[in-house]
Amino acid sequence: MNLMKANPKLVTTLLSLFTLLFLAGCDNIKQESVFTEGLIYCSEGAPTTFNPQLVTSGTTIDATSKQLYNRLLDFDNDDFSKIPALAKSWHVTTDGKIITFYLRKDVPFHQTDYFTPTRYMNADDVLFSFNRILDENHPFHASAGGKFPFFKGVNFAQVVNRLEKVDEHTIRFVLNYPDSAFLANLAAPFSVILSAEYGQQILDYNDSNRLNELDNSPIGTGPFKFKEFRNHAVLRFTKHDDYWRQEVEIEQLIFNISPSNTGRLTKLLTHECDVISYPIAPEIIINREDLILEEVTSFNVAFLAFNTQRAPFDNFLVRKAIAHAINREAIISAVYFDQAEIADSLLPQASWGFTDSIPRLPFDIERAKALLNDAGLSEGFSFDLWAMPVQRAYNPNALKMAKLIKADLAQVGIEVNIITYEWSTFLRRLARSEHQSVLIGWSADHPDPDNFFSPLLSCNSIETGRNRAFWCHPEFDDLLSSALLTTDTDKRRDLYIEAQHILAKNIPLFPIAHSKRSQAKQAQISGSILTPFGGISFEDVKKEAVKQ
Amino acid sequence: MLYFTLRRLYLLSFTLLMLSIVSFSLSYLFPGDIIVNLSGITNPTLEQRIELNALYKMDDSVFHQYFAYIKQVVNGNLGISMFNNAPIVDEMNTYLPATIELCVTALFIATIFGVTLGFIAAIFHNKWIDKIILAFAMIGYSIPAFWLALILIVIFSILLSWFPSSGQINLLFDVKEVTSFIFIDIWFSDIDDKWLAFQDALRHIFLPAITVAVTPMTIFIRLSRTSMLNVLDSNYIKAARAKGLSNVKIIYHHGIRNALVQIIRQMGMHFAHLVSVVMIAEVVFDWQGIGSWLINSIFQRDYTAIQGGLIAMATFTFLINIFADILYVTLNPIERYKRHGA
Amino acid sequence: MARDNIYLEEEFPTPIKQLWLTFSRTPVVMLAFICYLFLFVMAIIGQFITPHDALEIGDKLLFPPAWSDEGDVEHLLGTDSLGRDMLSRLLHGASLTFGLSFVIVIISMFIGIIIGSFSAITRGVKSSVSTHFLDVILSIPSLLLAIIVIAILGPGLDNILWAIILVTIPQFVHVTRDAIKEEQRKGYVLIPILDGASELRVLITSIYPNIIDKIIIQMTLSQSAAILDIAALGFLGLGAPIPMPEWGAMLADSLDLFYIAPWTTYLPGLTILFTVVVTNLVGEGLRHSLKLQKAN
Repeated sequence: MNLMKANPKLVTTLLSLFTLLFLAGCDNIKQESVFTEGLIYCSEGAPTTFNPQLVTSGTTIDATSKQLYNRLLDFDNDDFSKIPALAKSWHVTTDGKIITFYLRKDVPFHQTDYFTPTRYMNADDVLFSFNRILDENHPFHASAGGKFPFFKGVNFAQVVNRLEKVDEHTIRFVLNYPDSAFLANLAAPFSVILSAEYGQQILDYNDSNRLNELDNSPIGTGPFKFKEFRNHAVLRFTKHDDYWRQEVEIEQLIFNISPSNTGRLTKLLTHECDVISYPIAPEIIINREDLILEEVTSFNVAFLAFNTQRAPFDNFLVRKAIAHAINREAIISAVYFDQAEIADSLLPQASWGFTDSIPRLPFDIERAKALLNDAGLSEGFSFDLWAMPVQRAYNPNALKMAKLIKADLAQVGIEVNIITYEWSTFLRRLARSEHQSVLIGWSADHPDPDNFFSPLLSCNSIETGRNRAFWCHPEFDDLLSSALLTTDTDKRRDLYIEAQHILAKNIPLFPIAHSKRSQAKQAQISGSILTPFGGISFEDVKKEAVKQ
Repeated sequence: MLYFTLRRLYLLSFTLLMLSIVSFSLSYLFPGDIIVNLSGITNPTLEQRIELNALYKMDDSVFHQYFAYIKQVVNGNLGISMFNNAPIVDEMNTYLPATIELCVTALFIATIFGVTLGFIAAIFHNKWIDKIILAFAMIGYSIPAFWLALILIVIFSILLSWFPSSGQINLLFDVKEVTSFIFIDIWFSDIDDKWLAFQDALRHIFLPAITVAVTPMTIFIRLSRTSMLNVLDSNYIKAARAKGLSNVKIIYHHGIRNALVQIIRQMGMHFAHLVSVVMIAEVVFDWQGIGSWLINSIFQRDYTAIQGGLIAMATFTFLINIFADILYVTLNPIERYKRHGA
Repeated sequence: MARDNIYLEEEFPTPIKQLWLTFSRTPVVMLAFICYLFLFVMAIIGQFITPHDALEIGDKLLFPPAWSDEGDVEHLLGTDSLGRDMLSRLLHGASLTFGLSFVIVIISMFIGIIIGSFSAITRGVKSSVSTHFLDVILSIPSLLLAIIVIAILGPGLDNILWAIILVTIPQFVHVTRDAIKEEQRKGYVLIPILDGASELRVLITSIYPNIIDKIIIQMTLSQSAAILDIAALGFLGLGAPIPMPEWGAMLADSLDLFYIAPWTTYLPGLTILFTVVVTNLVGEGLRHSLKLQKAN
């Protein structure tokens, strides 16, 4: 009872304390160093692993490839040419079958709680990184389930005969046959260099359950090192002090996983995020002085993939009917807010393999009905349309697109069931071919046109699960292979144009749009984050104190 | 008093029994394999399957299976999450504290403002100020929590920039997770600007706490108003007044205490409702609590997590209920003997 | 005027009529009641009188409401990002959010009264178990219970119907049981019992007519809770399937448009608020009149 008598006083004290704290909180605490030395990036999804070798998902690439790792070579952001990275130079023999890389000698690996490197990067690390993919007996080959989807998609194991260590800082790739996209593939965000020493440390644990630490507790040479990944919501990196390329300005880099589009924009407006991916409502951002909207030409395409191994989409007529029944103009205005163009082929106009000779499939309800009639489905039918749950550069809102398609197809008597899962589940189930059709797309890893075909529609990519159409066409595959065998660009272009015509005749995928990738940031953040290929990079980003 | 406490404890054990039966039967009700639903191992190998069958006594009768399940639960094994393979108990240890923190703060705010507004309304009974407060209470009681949360974000985060719209603390503060109670973690962390971090966390909890607080606050307003009206109307207060006791003293000594006793009683009764609102607020404010975790689990079809979440949240609600009950009778001895044979 | 009726037998209004007489005296409450009736009518005929088809995708995307400069009279409350007319969607939604809540309350009431009566007339262990079981269900947060039902049955409108019915039944059981027990203590119930009437008969002829007012009040309370639950589940994406204009789902759907088309978020929110306030006001009015009646 005494307690209760004291209570009113207690309450008053607490109340005043609360008010005091609250008022104190209104000071300009944003000036403190803790706020200016770190950067918060609000991303649309969580990475599924910390090793880009194992994935194709853009979200994972964004979070890992250019933050934690480096590649042997990189792409220039402006003219898309290949520039040196971990390899300071390279040499290709005239027959195109032997490529020698001369490595930098001054590249340290990350030092973290779980690993302390004793040497700089050398040829052993390159050997380790690629042998893991090529050598089926490599201990870390199985730890990833033997799945390296990008490398599988580009026939890496067939192309590469062997890797040779010439000396400590020289490495040689010996190819079975010339591959004109090979260097581009090595510059792609998946071809990262891991630490052989760290791999050895994990092997020394002698515990097969710990082998996946190589991918889950990453060590690389990149500008940032891994600190923690909490609750699938916060990913924390710290600066790599001895980064070889330049001094990194940011002490702490934080990825805040914010799948809600409005939530991300809100956090940008309230300055809770410094940079956000895929902003909605660009006009709001443009009108604010404290924010900057950035766009970059991105090599991508959004498409509707039909699972050609399952009814009814094993029937070409049904695929064509659906292609005619979808109003892509409406999609461009409602989903992309006119920030995209209709895709007639997989290749965007900026690619050198582009052709305007592919006829457009017009929106034509009558034709669609006639085609359905020919296919014996004039009564209509229903099918599952999977819509990816995340926002991508190529498709800012797959669910909305699915709704529009549902309404379009209802006019020809087709009922669409829209299905969606959490992103990682979604990808897993797609790879298992559980879908009938899916709205998804592709962002190129490098500027070579091959990257739009081999990973997406080659017979090989069925195994990696990236061939969303589960479509295998021998003639098409032959064209792709011969295009890779030659280095003559004109000849290659002809082959890719022919391949595009085959696609237009078969429609395993119905291309919908090519769009730009955008992001928004606070005005005091400088440096280029967006790159045309292979995800984002915070390497040369600076943050200034807020001007008062 | 002992008798009363024992009765409550008996009730608690009965409740837990019911709850465990419900949660156990969920493994049967959820789609998919029973053993998968119990353990959370999505694609068990043959050996794992045999091991699990033995562990959960799948070959015995349902009765035995139930006891095998209870044994696992008591030993802290709720299976692993089907989504990220983390043990459910660990997951709850990370998420439950954040929810408790939010609930406690919200109840604190609700009590302070609820009692104050209720008293003001009672003192100005039937004046315009009373009517405004009552209208506010009616709207507050009717407003959908998710919508209120959005409105608060628009006003306080976007337009005024007073409070952040999401999370528990600015992520640039590298606070190590020890207890998962953010304020305690800040206290024990080794960061330089503890005071700054503390203020920041306080600013972060404000909007979600207000959202959660509004519904109980409106109930408390009515309760304290009624109880204050009764107090003001009672003979002993009239006598006290006649003796020259000031209004302030009357409110201080009699009003607050009577109102708080009523509030404690109602707090238990309305706690289940409060938890519903907390779940929504957590989703909107990106609060890493058990509510948003649970709702996420639905989308992942993570059945072990749903089961674990049910046990955690329902037990939490019961404990608060019983705690409020016991506190109530401690403060109000008459009630101890009244409530037999309900 | 001469009285036709020579017998001056005073008419005793039934409890429900008494309630109405007190109830209709407060203007605010009457206004709310009229709004309530309006909502009720809309729930039935709303989807047939919409100016446009609520599900039809139009080509006028994101038109603001008519009072804004860029607005269009054809779309009084504007359109959403798929060009659907907001007014039509809100009207259609009345049958989903409000209508569904009404159905839920009616079904739960019947089941609740049956279980409640049973629980009130049984004694001993059976009664104790049912009481405790009820306490368990009542103390599980309603949203949590609904989520679990949805996890079992899968999302969808008919499944949330059952989920919320399950959440609502215990409230009616509770009220019915308490009310019956209270009546049983009163003297008048003794008379038919002494006359040899069965317990069930007493229940139907003597007790039910006297507790109906309490049940009606519980109905309004349960309904406002049910509306909030339906909307909350819709908001979380667990309720009405995608094109359905359920208000909570509409709001969640339009979140991405919040910054470019705020009306698509404000309007469904305001509609839910209005509906719940109206329902609560009616309930509050009923409760208040009941209190006045008791006082007399």
